[in-house]
Amino acid sequence: MEQWLESAPGWTNVAVFFGLGALLLLVVLGFVTYAILAERKVMGFMQGRIGPNQVGGRLGLLQTVADVLKLLLKEDTIPKAADRPLYVLAPIIAFTPSFMVLAALPFTDAFRFADIGVGLLYYIAVSGLTTIGVVTGGWASNNKYALLGGMRAAAQMISYEIPLVMSALGVVLLAGSMNLVDIVTAQDNVWFIFAQPLAFLIFFIAAVAELNRVPFDLPEAESELVSGFHVEYSGFRWAFFMLAEYVYLFAMAALITILFLGGWHPVAFLGWIPGSVWFALKFCAIVYVLIWFRATFPRVRADQLMEFAWKVLLPLSLVNIVLTAVIKSLFF
Amino acid sequence: MIGLVKGLAYTLKELTREKVTYKYPHEPLPLPDRFRGIQKFYPEKCIVCNQCMNICPTQCIQLTGKKHPDPTKKGKVIETYNINFEICILCDLCTEVCPTEAIVMTNNFELAEYSRDALYKDLTWLDENDTNVRRENKP
Repeated sequence: MEQWLESAPGWTNVAVFFGLGALLLLVVLGFVTYAILAERKVMGFMQGRIGPNQVGGRLGLLQTVADVLKLLLKEDTIPKAADRPLYVLAPIIAFTPSFMVLAALPFTDAFRFADIGVGLLYYIAVSGLTTIGVVTGGWASNNKYALLGGMRAAAQMISYEIPLVMSALGVVLLAGSMNLVDIVTAQDNVWFIFAQPLAFLIFFIAAVAELNRVPFDLPEAESELVSGFHVEYSGFRWAFFMLAEYVYLFAMAALITILFLGGWHPVAFLGWIPGSVWFALKFCAIVYVLIWFRATFPRVRADQLMEFAWKVLLPLSLVNIVLTAVIKSLFF
Repeated sequence: MIGLVKGLAYTLKELTREKVTYKYPHEPLPLPDRFRGIQKFYPEKCIVCNQCMNICPTQCIQLTGKKHPDPTKKGKVIETYNINFEICILCDLCTEVCPTEAIVMTNNFELAEYSRDALYKDLTWLDENDTNVRRENKP
């Protein structure tokens, strides 16, 4: 990978990069397919039912594939009063950053794409762009529910981005770098979840809010806003919003693994299991907890949401930064 | 805060509990014997008394009889017997009123069809509908 990045530009480079990108996209699509199935299965089990079990064998393994095919066949409706160019553009703006952030994530020490010096900053900066897509979609639909959902998404994303970054700063202070590979290397001895438990808690809560998932799913609250910003979308454009959501699930679970769970580092004496397996295990645990949250918690109210971000999470994360700085200057 | 953890523990416990759903189209539902399903008709028992046709609240039963083919015997035998399941409400009155239990209820209830004509069930169809028949039928 390194020598490809440093080689002279040419058509072979373009072809190789395109091929690698397409490969990662396929992997991510595979993840999204089975993450949706896993979500439905786990939620079904937690609610006393079985979940999909008709399409693709007893486990319903092809259910999501069938759903996506249905979405592709659906009529592509654009409301008459919608702002047509923006309406078409919004799903693309929402999805593209979600795939762009994956380039900066190191999955193992060998399997990674761009080794950016400020990988964490890049992730947070680019992932913030999705909000523009969501707000654009909400505005362009010319629908009051969509607009409300879009506005909520903007407010929520901006509010929770701050504690997210602030809690990650504790990790950055300890690792002394914003490079995600360096951060993983710094966790050789002790994972940052143990060194920074408060930061992990804040980061996890803010991450759930960033992902627009229950209990912070106000932008697309089914029961009050029909389905929020994508209420007017159908077929493939809607699928793009959903895809963006689940690719962010992938990216955020990977980021939490990298920042707090020691990336591809093995547990204590189990070093003979390869790093990629460890990464996958930690990653799946995070995804499972997110699904578990969705099956358990009710949605918070809009005012509670804002108060929680500004009055609880932000002060706590500031305290965490100060504590980390003091500890770092005293003991290291 | 405690409540959130309690909730998480509860959903985790639910994960392994026995599921409450039925495998319905694959396995038939267990139904009680008094279930009101599609009628089964016994042509040989019918005495063409017309009581079922008269009592039917939706007038969905049509029947005709003819004289007994054996001239030594009195009475009639059934010739045609139709139930229109577009309007039949499965109220159980025809089976209640039948003096010879020539018409009884079964536990079959799957009546979905692609055409309305298929909902007109005739004598042979009702005769062949002989599965899951109600066991206890007092005259």
